[in-house]
Amino acid sequence: MALDEATAKDIARLARLRITNSEQGVADDQEVKALDTLVAEFSKIVGYMDILAQADTTGVEPLYSPMVEPLPPREDQPRTTENNSDSLLQNAPERIGRYFSVPRVF
Amino acid sequence: MSELWRLGLGQAYQGLLAKDFTAEELVLDCLDRIKATEPAINACLTVLDEQAIQQAKELDRLGPDPQRPLWGVPLTVKDVFSLKGAPTTAGSKILENYLCSYEATVVQRLRQAGAVICAKTNCDEFAMGSSTEFSAYGPTSNPWNTQRVPGGSSGGAAASVAACQTPGGFGTDTGGSIRQPAALCGCVGLKPTYGRVSRYGIIAYGSSLDQAGPFARSVKDCARLLASVAGPDGLDSTASTIPVDDYLNPAELDVKQLTLGLPKELWSASFSPEVETVLQEAKTLLTKAGVNLKEVSLPSLKYSVASYYILASAEASTNLARYDGVRYGYRAPDRSGLAELYLSSRSHGFGPEVQRRILLGTFVLSSGYYDAYFRKAAQVRRLIQQQYDAALESCQFLLAPVSSIPAWPFGSFTNDPLTIYQLDMMTLPLNLAGAPGLSLPCGLGADGLPVGIQIMGRAFDESALLKAGSLIEQVFPPIGTPEVKAKE
Repeated sequence: MALDEATAKDIARLARLRITNSEQGVADDQEVKALDTLVAEFSKIVGYMDILAQADTTGVEPLYSPMVEPLPPREDQPRTTENNSDSLLQNAPERIGRYFSVPRVF
Repeated sequence: MSELWRLGLGQAYQGLLAKDFTAEELVLDCLDRIKATEPAINACLTVLDEQAIQQAKELDRLGPDPQRPLWGVPLTVKDVFSLKGAPTTAGSKILENYLCSYEATVVQRLRQAGAVICAKTNCDEFAMGSSTEFSAYGPTSNPWNTQRVPGGSSGGAAASVAACQTPGGFGTDTGGSIRQPAALCGCVGLKPTYGRVSRYGIIAYGSSLDQAGPFARSVKDCARLLASVAGPDGLDSTASTIPVDDYLNPAELDVKQLTLGLPKELWSASFSPEVETVLQEAKTLLTKAGVNLKEVSLPSLKYSVASYYILASAEASTNLARYDGVRYGYRAPDRSGLAELYLSSRSHGFGPEVQRRILLGTFVLSSGYYDAYFRKAAQVRRLIQQQYDAALESCQFLLAPVSSIPAWPFGSFTNDPLTIYQLDMMTLPLNLAGAPGLSLPCGLGADGLPVGIQIMGRAFDESALLKAGSLIEQVFPPIGTPEVKAKE
Protein backbone atom coordinates (compact mmCIF):
# COMPACT_ATOMS: atom_id res chain seq x y z
CA MET A 1 0.00 0.00 0.00
CA ALA A 2 1.04 3.60 -0.50
CA LEU A 3 1.32 5.61 2.65
CA ASP A 4 -0.38 9.01 2.95
CA GLU A 5 1.08 12.00 4.78
CA ALA A 6 -1.44 11.88 7.62
CA THR A 7 -0.59 8.25 8.43
CA ALA A 8 3.14 8.99 8.23
CA LYS A 9 2.77 11.88 10.67
CA ASP A 10 0.74 9.74 13.03
CA ILE A 11 3.32 6.91 12.96
CA ALA A 12 6.14 9.37 13.71
CA ARG A 13 4.12 10.78 16.62
CA LEU A 14 3.54 7.29 18.04
CA ALA A 15 7.25 6.46 17.62
CA ARG A 16 8.30 9.73 19.30
CA LEU A 17 10.43 10.65 16.31
CA ARG A 18 10.45 14.08 14.75
CA ILE A 19 9.78 14.62 11.06
CA THR A 20 9.91 17.90 9.25
CA ASN A 21 7.44 19.16 6.69
CA SER A 22 8.59 18.64 3.14
CA GLU A 23 8.95 22.31 2.35
CA GLN A 24 11.30 22.88 5.29
CA GLY A 25 13.68 20.27 3.95
CA VAL A 26 16.48 18.74 5.96
CA ALA A 27 19.30 21.11 5.15
CA ASP A 28 19.59 22.53 8.66
CA ASP A 29 19.03 19.24 10.43
CA GLN A 30 20.54 16.16 8.83
CA GLU A 31 19.21 13.69 11.40
CA VAL A 32 15.57 14.64 11.19
CA LYS A 33 13.67 12.91 8.46
CA ALA A 34 11.64 14.86 5.95
CA LEU A 35 8.00 13.90 5.58
CA ASP A 36 8.20 13.40 1.82
CA THR A 37 11.24 11.11 2.16
CA LEU A 38 9.43 9.07 4.78
CA VAL A 39 6.30 8.72 2.67
CA ALA A 40 8.28 7.70 -0.42
CA GLU A 41 10.48 5.18 1.43
CA PHE A 42 7.58 3.69 3.31
CA SER A 43 5.41 3.32 0.28
CA LYS A 44 8.19 1.33 -1.36
CA ILE A 45 9.01 -0.84 1.65
CA VAL A 46 5.41 -1.47 2.73
CA GLY A 47 4.50 -2.01 -0.90
CA TYR A 48 7.01 -4.85 -0.97
CA MET A 49 5.65 -6.28 2.32
CA ASP A 50 2.26 -6.63 0.64
CA ILE A 51 3.62 -9.84 -0.94
CA LEU A 52 2.49 -11.47 2.32
CA ALA A 53 -1.12 -11.13 1.24
CA GLN A 54 -0.42 -13.91 -1.28
CA ALA A 55 0.48 -16.43 1.43
CA ASP A 56 -2.31 -18.79 2.40
CA THR A 57 -2.27 -18.69 6.19
CA THR A 58 -5.78 -19.97 6.81
CA GLY A 59 -5.83 -21.64 10.21
CA VAL A 60 -2.09 -21.06 10.79
CA GLU A 61 -1.24 -20.15 14.36
CA PRO A 62 1.14 -17.14 14.46
CA LEU A 63 4.69 -17.92 15.65
CA TYR A 64 5.87 -15.09 17.89
CA SER A 65 8.80 -16.93 19.46
CA PRO A 66 10.71 -20.06 18.44
CA MET A 67 11.04 -21.12 22.09
CA VAL A 68 10.12 -24.77 22.53
CA GLU A 69 9.76 -24.79 26.29
CA PRO A 70 7.23 -22.83 28.33
CA LEU A 71 8.71 -19.80 30.06
CA PRO A 72 9.63 -21.01 33.53
CA PRO A 73 8.24 -18.97 36.43
CA ARG A 74 10.58 -18.10 39.26
CA GLU A 75 9.98 -17.70 42.96
CA ASP A 76 8.61 -14.28 43.77
CA GLN A 77 11.38 -13.42 46.18
CA PRO A 78 13.55 -10.35 46.44
CA ARG A 79 17.08 -10.83 45.16
CA THR A 80 20.14 -8.76 45.70
CA THR A 81 22.12 -7.64 42.68
CA GLU A 82 25.29 -5.66 42.24
CA ASN A 83 23.21 -2.86 40.83
CA ASN A 84 22.44 -0.29 43.46
CA SER A 85 20.85 3.09 42.97
CA ASP A 86 24.25 4.75 42.57
CA SER A 87 25.33 2.51 39.72
CA LEU A 88 21.94 2.87 38.03
CA LEU A 89 21.95 6.65 38.40
CA GLN A 90 25.53 7.05 37.16
CA ASN A 91 24.34 7.12 33.55
CA ALA A 92 21.58 9.67 34.03
CA PRO A 93 22.26 12.61 31.73
CA GLU A 94 20.82 14.93 34.37
CA ARG A 95 19.86 14.28 37.94
CA ILE A 96 19.00 16.10 41.10
CA GLY A 97 20.40 14.22 44.08
CA ARG A 98 19.08 10.68 43.86
CA TYR A 99 16.42 11.49 41.26
CA PHE A 100 16.32 11.60 37.47
CA SER A 101 15.41 15.09 36.39
CA VAL A 102 13.13 16.05 33.48
CA PRO A 103 11.70 19.36 32.24
CA ARG A 104 8.65 20.36 34.26
CA VAL A 105 5.38 19.00 32.91
CA PHE A 106 2.94 21.40 34.59
CA MET B 1 58.08 -17.03 19.50
CA SER B 2 57.10 -14.45 16.94
CA GLU B 3 53.77 -13.64 15.34
CA LEU B 4 51.70 -15.40 17.98
CA TRP B 5 48.71 -13.50 16.57
CA ARG B 6 48.71 -15.86 13.61
CA LEU B 7 47.77 -18.83 15.80
CA GLY B 8 44.25 -20.21 15.62
CA LEU B 9 42.31 -20.37 18.85
CA GLY B 10 42.89 -24.07 19.56
CA GLN B 11 46.61 -23.79 18.73
CA ALA B 12 46.97 -20.74 20.96
CA TYR B 13 45.24 -22.55 23.81
CA GLN B 14 47.46 -25.63 23.46
CA GLY B 15 50.54 -23.41 23.33
CA LEU B 16 49.47 -21.65 26.51
CA LEU B 17 48.85 -24.91 28.38
CA ALA B 18 52.23 -26.26 27.22
CA LYS B 19 53.83 -23.00 28.43
CA ASP B 20 55.32 -22.34 24.99
CA PHE B 21 54.41 -18.72 25.74
CA THR B 22 52.58 -16.89 28.49
CA ALA B 23 49.09 -15.39 28.42
CA GLU B 24 50.71 -11.96 28.72
CA GLU B 25 52.95 -12.57 25.69
CA LEU B 26 49.99 -13.69 23.61
CA VAL B 27 47.78 -10.81 24.73
CA LEU B 28 50.54 -8.26 24.08
CA ASP B 29 51.11 -9.70 20.62
CA CYS B 30 47.39 -9.48 19.80
CA LEU B 31 47.22 -5.92 21.15
CA ASP B 32 50.13 -5.02 18.86
CA ARG B 33 48.33 -6.62 15.96
CA ILE B 34 45.22 -4.58 16.80
CA LYS B 35 47.31 -1.41 16.87
CA ALA B 36 48.91 -2.26 13.52
CA THR B 37 45.69 -3.09 11.70
CA GLU B 38 43.15 -0.68 13.22
CA PRO B 39 44.11 2.31 11.07
CA ALA B 40 43.19 0.21 8.03
CA ILE B 41 40.05 -1.59 9.23
CA ASN B 42 38.49 0.25 12.24
CA ALA B 43 37.11 -3.00 13.67
CA CYS B 44 37.28 -1.99 17.34
CA LEU B 45 35.33 0.71 19.14
CA THR B 46 37.15 0.26 22.45
CA VAL B 47 40.47 -1.48 23.01
CA LEU B 48 40.72 -2.70 26.59
CA ASP B 49 44.52 -2.89 26.66
CA GLU B 50 45.15 -2.11 30.32
CA GLN B 51 42.45 -4.46 31.61
CA ALA B 52 43.56 -7.20 29.22
CA ILE B 53 47.24 -7.01 30.20
CA GLN B 54 46.36 -6.97 33.89
CA GLN B 55 44.06 -9.97 33.47
CA ALA B 56 46.70 -11.89 31.50
CA LYS B 57 49.29 -11.22 34.20
CA GLU B 58 46.88 -12.51 36.82
CA LEU B 59 46.25 -15.69 34.80
CA ASP B 60 50.01 -16.23 34.40
CA ARG B 61 50.46 -15.84 38.13
CA LEU B 62 47.93 -18.64 38.75
CA GLY B 63 49.37 -20.83 35.97
CA PRO B 64 47.69 -22.65 33.06
CA ASP B 65 44.43 -24.42 33.92
CA PRO B 66 43.27 -27.20 31.58
CA GLN B 67 39.85 -27.11 33.27
CA ARG B 68 39.29 -23.67 31.73
CA PRO B 69 38.62 -24.13 28.00
CA LEU B 70 39.75 -20.62 27.03
CA TRP B 71 42.56 -20.09 29.54
CA GLY B 72 44.59 -17.07 28.41
CA VAL B 73 42.89 -16.79 25.01
CA PRO B 74 42.46 -13.19 23.74
CA LEU B 75 38.98 -12.46 22.37
CA THR B 76 36.76 -9.59 21.28
CA VAL B 77 33.05 -9.01 21.88
CA LYS B 78 30.68 -6.95 19.75
CA ASP B 79 29.76 -3.65 21.32
CA VAL B 80 26.25 -4.87 22.16
CA PHE B 81 27.55 -7.04 25.02
CA SER B 82 27.50 -5.31 28.39
CA LEU B 83 30.91 -5.26 29.96
CA LYS B 84 31.26 -3.76 33.40
CA GLY B 85 33.06 -0.44 33.53
CA ALA B 86 33.52 -0.25 29.76
CA PRO B 87 31.57 1.77 27.20
CA THR B 88 28.75 -0.19 25.55
CA THR B 89 27.47 1.87 22.63
CA ALA B 90 25.84 -0.67 20.29
CA GLY B 91 27.31 1.54 17.56
CA SER B 92 24.85 4.31 18.49
CA LYS B 93 25.34 7.93 19.37
CA ILE B 94 22.46 7.58 21.83
CA LEU B 95 24.71 5.39 24.04
CA GLU B 96 27.91 7.38 23.47
CA ASN B 97 28.66 7.98 27.15
CA TYR B 98 26.94 4.93 28.58
CA LEU B 99 28.99 2.90 31.06
CA CYS B 100 27.66 -0.50 32.01
CA SER B 101 27.26 -1.42 35.66
CA TYR B 102 26.91 -5.17 35.02
CA GLU B 103 28.12 -7.85 32.63
CA ALA B 104 26.38 -9.94 30.02
CA THR B 105 26.18 -13.64 30.87
CA VAL B 106 28.26 -14.40 27.76
CA VAL B 107 31.02 -12.10 29.03
CA GLN B 108 30.89 -13.60 32.53
CA ARG B 109 31.15 -17.12 31.12
CA LEU B 110 34.03 -16.18 28.83
CA ARG B 111 35.89 -14.79 31.83
CA GLN B 112 35.14 -17.92 33.86
CA ALA B 113 36.55 -19.97 30.98
CA GLY B 114 39.74 -17.93 31.25
CA ALA B 115 39.37 -15.73 28.17
CA VAL B 116 40.92 -12.27 28.05
CA ILE B 117 38.63 -9.72 26.40
CA CYS B 118 40.85 -7.32 24.46
CA ALA B 119 38.37 -5.15 22.56
CA LYS B 120 34.76 -4.33 21.83
CA THR B 121 34.00 -4.49 18.13
CA ASN B 122 32.16 -2.16 15.78
CA CYS B 123 28.68 -2.87 14.44
CA ASP B 124 25.74 -1.30 12.69
CA GLU B 125 23.77 0.83 15.12
CA PHE B 126 21.77 -1.48 17.41
CA ALA B 127 22.80 -4.34 15.09
CA MET B 128 20.51 -3.00 12.35
CA GLY B 129 22.33 -3.22 9.05
CA SER B 130 24.26 -5.53 6.77
CA SER B 131 27.45 -3.55 6.15
CA THR B 132 28.56 -1.82 9.40
CA GLU B 133 28.09 1.47 7.52
CA PHE B 134 25.34 2.40 9.97
CA SER B 135 27.70 2.57 12.94
CA ALA B 136 27.73 6.07 14.43
CA TYR B 137 31.50 5.65 14.84
CA GLY B 138 32.46 5.16 11.22
CA PRO B 139 32.38 2.00 9.13
CA THR B 140 34.69 -0.99 9.47
CA SER B 141 36.66 -1.99 6.38
CA ASN B 142 36.99 -5.47 4.97
CA PRO B 143 40.55 -6.75 5.63
CA TRP B 144 40.67 -8.34 2.14
CA ASN B 145 39.98 -5.02 0.46
CA THR B 146 39.70 -1.95 2.63
CA GLN B 147 37.60 -0.11 0.02
CA ARG B 148 34.82 -2.55 0.76
CA VAL B 149 32.39 -3.30 3.56
CA PRO B 150 32.95 -6.22 5.96
CA GLY B 151 29.24 -7.06 6.04
CA GLY B 152 27.20 -6.64 9.14
CA SER B 153 25.90 -6.08 11.56
CA SER B 154 28.79 -7.84 13.38
CA GLY B 155 31.23 -6.50 10.77
CA GLY B 156 33.80 -5.40 13.34
CA ALA B 157 33.90 -8.86 14.90
CA ALA B 158 34.32 -10.60 11.53
CA ALA B 159 36.94 -8.16 10.22
CA SER B 160 38.87 -8.41 13.49
CA VAL B 161 39.01 -12.21 13.48
CA ALA B 162 39.82 -12.33 9.75
CA ALA B 163 42.66 -9.82 10.25
CA CYS B 164 44.00 -11.99 13.10
CA GLN B 165 43.59 -9.28 15.74
CA THR B 166 42.50 -12.06 18.09
CA PRO B 167 41.79 -15.74 17.36
CA GLY B 168 38.06 -15.42 18.13
CA GLY B 169 35.22 -13.14 19.00
CA PHE B 170 31.53 -12.97 19.75
CA GLY B 171 28.78 -11.28 17.81
CA THR B 172 25.02 -11.49 17.54
CA ASP B 173 22.84 -12.76 14.71
CA THR B 174 19.26 -11.47 14.38
CA GLY B 175 18.88 -11.92 10.62
CA GLY B 176 22.34 -13.02 9.51
CA SER B 177 24.57 -10.61 11.43
CA ILE B 178 27.13 -13.31 12.27
CA ARG B 179 26.96 -15.52 9.17
CA GLN B 180 26.98 -12.79 6.51
CA PRO B 181 30.03 -10.82 7.78
CA ALA B 182 31.83 -14.13 8.41
CA ALA B 183 31.24 -15.00 4.75
CA LEU B 184 32.27 -11.57 3.45
CA CYS B 185 35.44 -11.51 5.60
CA GLY B 186 36.40 -15.16 5.11
CA CYS B 187 36.06 -16.52 8.64
CA VAL B 188 33.77 -18.98 10.38
CA GLY B 189 30.65 -17.76 12.17
CA LEU B 190 28.06 -19.74 14.10
CA LYS B 191 24.50 -18.69 14.85
CA PRO B 192 23.33 -21.07 17.57
CA THR B 193 19.73 -22.18 18.12
CA TYR B 194 17.52 -19.49 19.63
CA GLY B 195 17.83 -20.05 23.39
CA ARG B 196 21.14 -21.95 23.31
CA VAL B 197 23.08 -18.92 24.58
CA SER B 198 21.79 -16.46 27.18
CA ARG B 199 20.80 -13.01 25.94
CA TYR B 200 21.18 -11.42 29.37
CA GLY B 201 23.16 -8.20 29.11
CA ILE B 202 23.00 -8.04 25.31
CA ILE B 203 21.44 -4.84 23.99
CA ALA B 204 18.13 -5.98 22.53
CA TYR B 205 17.10 -5.57 18.89
CA GLY B 206 14.61 -8.31 17.94
CA SER B 207 14.09 -10.37 21.07
CA SER B 208 12.53 -13.43 19.40
CA LEU B 209 15.35 -13.52 16.81
CA ASP B 210 18.55 -12.29 18.55
CA GLN B 211 21.16 -14.92 19.36
CA ALA B 212 24.80 -14.55 20.35
CA GLY B 213 27.44 -16.70 18.70
CA PRO B 214 31.14 -17.06 17.98
CA PHE B 215 33.51 -16.10 15.19
CA ALA B 216 36.83 -17.90 14.67
CA ARG B 217 39.12 -19.06 11.89
CA SER B 218 38.06 -22.71 12.06
CA VAL B 219 34.90 -24.65 12.86
CA LYS B 220 36.60 -26.44 15.77
CA ASP B 221 37.53 -23.11 17.31
CA CYS B 222 33.90 -22.01 17.08
CA ALA B 223 32.94 -25.24 18.88
CA ARG B 224 35.32 -24.38 21.73
CA LEU B 225 33.84 -20.91 22.02
CA LEU B 226 30.24 -22.14 21.99
CA ALA B 227 31.05 -24.79 24.60
CA SER B 228 32.22 -22.05 26.95
CA VAL B 229 29.00 -20.03 26.89
CA ALA B 230 26.06 -22.34 26.05
CA GLY B 231 23.44 -23.36 28.58
CA PRO B 232 20.62 -22.16 30.79
CA ASP B 233 20.78 -18.92 32.71
CA GLY B 234 18.61 -17.84 35.61
CA LEU B 235 18.83 -14.30 34.28
CA ASP B 236 17.29 -15.12 30.88
CA SER B 237 14.11 -17.20 30.93
CA THR B 238 14.42 -17.84 27.18
CA ALA B 239 17.81 -19.56 27.67
CA SER B 240 16.91 -23.20 27.20
CA THR B 241 17.37 -25.94 29.82
CA ILE B 242 17.85 -28.57 27.09
CA PRO B 243 21.16 -30.28 27.96
CA VAL B 244 24.28 -28.92 26.24
CA ASP B 245 26.18 -31.51 24.18
CA ASP B 246 29.93 -31.95 24.33
CA TYR B 247 30.85 -29.85 21.30
CA LEU B 248 34.56 -30.61 21.63
CA ASN B 249 34.01 -34.38 21.39
CA PRO B 250 31.12 -34.83 18.95
CA ALA B 251 29.75 -38.15 17.71
CA GLU B 252 31.53 -39.58 14.70
CA LEU B 253 30.20 -38.64 11.30
CA ASP B 254 31.44 -39.80 7.89
CA VAL B 255 31.58 -37.29 5.08
CA LYS B 256 30.41 -40.01 2.66
CA GLN B 257 27.24 -40.46 4.68
CA LEU B 258 26.34 -36.79 4.65
CA THR B 259 23.18 -35.74 2.84
CA LEU B 260 22.78 -32.00 2.41
CA GLY B 261 19.54 -30.45 1.17
CA LEU B 262 19.84 -27.47 -1.18
CA PRO B 263 16.80 -25.18 -0.86
CA LYS B 264 16.01 -24.33 -4.46
CA GLU B 265 14.45 -20.99 -3.49
CA LEU B 266 17.90 -19.82 -2.27
CA TRP B 267 20.06 -21.46 -4.95
CA SER B 268 17.93 -20.01 -7.74
CA ALA B 269 18.76 -16.43 -6.70
CA SER B 270 20.78 -14.29 -9.04
CA PHE B 271 24.44 -14.34 -8.03
CA SER B 272 27.38 -12.19 -9.02
CA PRO B 273 29.65 -14.09 -11.45
CA GLU B 274 32.45 -14.37 -8.85
CA VAL B 275 30.16 -15.82 -6.20
CA GLU B 276 28.42 -18.11 -8.70
CA THR B 277 31.75 -19.64 -9.81
CA VAL B 278 32.97 -20.31 -6.27
CA LEU B 279 29.62 -21.80 -5.19
CA GLN B 280 29.50 -24.14 -8.18
CA GLU B 281 33.06 -25.25 -7.46
CA ALA B 282 32.11 -25.82 -3.81
CA LYS B 283 29.25 -28.10 -4.83
CA THR B 284 31.57 -30.01 -7.16
CA LEU B 285 34.15 -30.46 -4.38
CA LEU B 286 31.49 -31.70 -1.98
CA THR B 287 30.15 -34.20 -4.50
CA LYS B 288 33.69 -35.43 -5.24
CA ALA B 289 34.24 -35.93 -1.51
CA GLY B 290 31.22 -38.20 -1.44
CA VAL B 291 28.64 -35.83 0.03
CA ASN B 292 25.14 -36.46 -1.25
CA LEU B 293 23.53 -33.20 -2.41
CA LYS B 294 19.81 -33.10 -3.07
CA GLU B 295 17.38 -30.36 -3.92
CA VAL B 296 14.72 -29.47 -1.37
CA SER B 297 11.98 -26.86 -1.50
CA LEU B 298 10.68 -24.44 1.12
CA PRO B 299 8.09 -22.52 -0.91
CA SER B 300 7.37 -19.94 1.82
CA LEU B 301 10.96 -18.64 1.71
CA LYS B 302 9.77 -16.12 -0.87
CA TYR B 303 8.00 -14.35 1.99
CA SER B 304 10.92 -14.44 4.42
CA VAL B 305 12.27 -10.93 3.78
CA ALA B 306 8.82 -9.39 4.29
CA SER B 307 8.06 -11.53 7.33
CA TYR B 308 11.44 -10.85 8.92
CA TYR B 309 11.50 -7.09 8.43
CA ILE B 310 7.99 -6.76 9.85
CA LEU B 311 8.68 -8.88 12.92
CA ALA B 312 12.19 -7.59 13.60
CA SER B 313 11.13 -3.95 13.17
CA ALA B 314 8.12 -4.46 15.42
CA GLU B 315 10.33 -5.93 18.14
CA ALA B 316 12.90 -3.18 17.61
CA SER B 317 10.33 -0.40 17.95
CA THR B 318 9.26 -1.92 21.26
CA ASN B 319 12.79 -2.54 22.56
CA LEU B 320 14.03 0.92 21.59
CA ALA B 321 11.16 2.72 23.30
CA ARG B 322 13.36 2.73 26.41
CA TYR B 323 15.72 5.35 24.96
CA ASP B 324 14.12 8.54 26.16
CA GLY B 325 17.00 10.78 27.20
CA VAL B 326 16.06 10.50 30.87
CA ARG B 327 17.64 7.49 32.56
CA TYR B 328 20.71 6.94 30.41
CA GLY B 329 22.07 7.80 27.02
CA TYR B 330 22.03 10.92 24.90
CA ARG B 331 19.82 13.80 26.00
CA ALA B 332 19.06 16.64 23.60
CA PRO B 333 19.44 20.16 24.97
CA ASP B 334 15.71 20.76 24.38
CA ARG B 335 14.04 22.10 27.52
CA SER B 336 10.66 23.11 26.13
CA GLY B 337 8.84 20.17 27.70
CA LEU B 338 8.99 16.45 28.46
CA ALA B 339 7.42 15.33 25.17
CA GLU B 340 9.84 17.57 23.26
CA LEU B 341 12.76 16.16 25.23
CA TYR B 342 11.80 12.62 24.14
CA LEU B 343 11.35 13.71 20.53
CA SER B 344 14.60 15.62 20.29
CA SER B 345 16.71 13.06 22.15
CA ARG B 346 15.46 10.19 20.01
CA SER B 347 15.55 12.10 16.71
CA HIS B 348 19.15 13.22 17.26
CA GLY B 349 20.39 10.14 19.13
CA PHE B 350 19.24 7.49 16.62
CA GLY B 351 20.71 7.22 13.14
CA PRO B 352 18.75 6.86 9.89
CA GLU B 353 18.39 3.07 9.70
CA VAL B 354 17.31 2.74 13.33
CA GLN B 355 14.71 5.48 12.87
CA ARG B 356 13.48 3.75 9.71
CA ARG B 357 12.98 0.46 11.55
CA ILE B 358 11.35 2.06 14.58
CA LEU B 359 8.88 3.78 12.24
CA LEU B 360 8.26 0.59 10.28
CA GLY B 361 7.76 -1.37 13.50
CA THR B 362 5.41 1.25 14.88
CA PHE B 363 3.43 1.15 11.66
CA VAL B 364 2.99 -2.64 11.53
CA LEU B 365 1.94 -2.71 15.18
CA SER B 366 -0.47 0.20 14.90
CA SER B 367 -4.21 -0.18 15.02
CA GLY B 368 -5.63 -0.96 11.60
CA TYR B 369 -2.41 -2.55 10.26
CA TYR B 370 -1.61 -5.07 12.98
CA ASP B 371 -3.52 -8.02 11.46
CA ALA B 372 -2.51 -7.39 7.86
CA TYR B 373 1.18 -7.06 8.65
CA PHE B 374 2.33 -8.12 12.12
CA ARG B 375 0.03 -11.08 12.68
CA LYS B 376 0.30 -12.18 9.06
CA ALA B 377 4.12 -12.07 9.23
CA ALA B 378 4.03 -14.25 12.34
CA GLN B 379 1.76 -16.76 10.58
CA VAL B 380 4.17 -16.87 7.65
CA ARG B 381 6.98 -17.37 10.16
CA ARG B 382 5.18 -20.52 11.35
CA LEU B 383 4.96 -21.77 7.75
CA ILE B 384 8.68 -21.15 7.23
CA GLN B 385 9.54 -23.02 10.42
CA GLN B 386 7.30 -25.95 9.45
CA GLN B 387 8.83 -26.14 5.99
CA TYR B 388 12.32 -25.89 7.46
CA ASP B 389 11.65 -28.83 9.77
CA ALA B 390 9.99 -30.80 6.97
CA ALA B 391 12.99 -30.25 4.66
CA LEU B 392 15.25 -31.75 7.34
CA GLU B 393 13.21 -34.97 7.28
CA SER B 394 14.80 -35.85 3.93
CA CYS B 395 18.39 -34.75 4.66
CA GLN B 396 20.67 -34.14 7.65
CA PHE B 397 21.44 -30.48 7.02
CA LEU B 398 20.56 -27.72 4.63
CA LEU B 399 23.28 -26.13 2.54
CA ALA B 400 22.85 -22.61 1.17
CA PRO B 401 24.77 -19.57 -0.01
CA VAL B 402 25.22 -16.76 2.53
CA SER B 403 25.35 -13.73 0.24
CA SER B 404 24.56 -13.46 -3.45
CA ILE B 405 27.30 -10.85 -3.89
CA PRO B 406 30.80 -10.47 -2.41
CA ALA B 407 31.77 -7.59 -0.10
CA TRP B 408 30.60 -4.44 -1.85
CA PRO B 409 32.18 -0.97 -2.13
CA PHE B 410 31.16 1.53 0.55
CA GLY B 411 28.01 3.50 -0.19
CA SER B 412 26.61 1.08 -2.79
CA PHE B 413 23.21 0.71 -1.11
CA THR B 414 23.01 3.24 1.70
CA ASN B 415 20.12 5.10 0.08
CA ASP B 416 18.31 1.98 -1.00
CA PRO B 417 17.07 0.22 2.13
CA LEU B 418 14.77 -2.23 0.36
CA THR B 419 17.56 -3.62 -1.84
CA ILE B 420 19.79 -4.18 1.15
CA TYR B 421 16.92 -5.89 3.03
CA GLN B 422 16.48 -8.21 0.06
CA LEU B 423 20.19 -9.09 0.14
CA ASP B 424 19.53 -10.69 3.54
CA MET B 425 17.25 -13.29 2.03
CA MET B 426 19.79 -16.13 2.39
CA THR B 427 20.26 -15.67 6.12
CA LEU B 428 16.88 -14.54 7.52
CA PRO B 429 14.99 -17.84 7.28
CA LEU B 430 17.18 -19.44 9.93
CA ASN B 431 16.36 -16.75 12.50
CA LEU B 432 12.66 -17.03 11.71
CA ALA B 433 12.89 -20.80 12.27
CA GLY B 434 15.04 -20.34 15.40
CA ALA B 435 17.50 -23.01 14.21
CA PRO B 436 21.33 -23.11 14.20
CA GLY B 437 23.57 -22.38 11.22
CA LEU B 438 27.26 -22.22 10.46
CA SER B 439 28.86 -20.02 7.82
CA LEU B 440 32.30 -20.97 6.55
CA PRO B 441 34.55 -19.86 3.71
CA CYS B 442 34.38 -22.04 0.59
CA GLY B 443 36.84 -20.18 -1.59
CA LEU B 444 38.10 -16.89 -2.97
CA GLY B 445 36.47 -15.29 -5.98
CA ALA B 446 38.35 -14.05 -9.03
CA ASP B 447 38.13 -10.60 -7.41
CA GLY B 448 40.17 -11.87 -4.44
CA LEU B 449 37.21 -11.65 -2.08
CA PRO B 450 36.05 -14.54 0.13
CA VAL B 451 32.82 -16.41 -0.56
CA GLY B 452 30.98 -18.22 2.21
CA ILE B 453 28.54 -21.08 2.40
CA GLN B 454 26.25 -22.06 5.27
CA ILE B 455 24.98 -25.32 6.66
CA MET B 456 21.89 -25.32 8.81
CA GLY B 457 20.66 -27.99 11.17
CA ARG B 458 18.01 -29.00 13.66
CA ALA B 459 17.30 -26.92 16.75
CA PHE B 460 19.71 -27.68 19.61
CA ASP B 461 21.80 -30.04 17.48
CA GLU B 462 24.86 -27.79 17.28
CA SER B 463 27.03 -30.82 18.02
CA ALA B 464 26.20 -32.54 14.73
CA LEU B 465 26.21 -29.22 12.88
CA LEU B 466 29.74 -28.40 14.07
CA LYS B 467 30.95 -31.90 13.24
CA ALA B 468 29.50 -31.74 9.73
CA GLY B 469 30.92 -28.22 9.39
CA SER B 470 34.43 -29.37 10.24
CA LEU B 471 34.11 -32.19 7.69
CA ILE B 472 33.07 -29.95 4.82
CA GLU B 473 35.60 -27.31 5.89
CA GLN B 474 38.34 -29.80 4.92
CA VAL B 475 36.81 -30.24 1.48
CA PHE B 476 37.22 -26.55 0.57
CA PRO B 477 40.57 -24.94 -0.32
CA PRO B 478 42.07 -22.86 2.52
CA ILE B 479 41.73 -19.15 1.71
CA GLY B 480 44.72 -17.96 3.74
CA THR B 481 45.10 -14.73 5.69
CA PRO B 482 44.42 -11.33 4.13
CA GLU B 483 47.27 -8.92 3.80
CA VAL B 484 45.70 -5.92 5.47
CA LYS B 485 46.50 -2.81 3.47
CA ALA B 486 45.59 0.67 4.57
CA LYS B 487 43.03 2.66 2.60
CA GLU B 488 44.61 4.68 -0.17
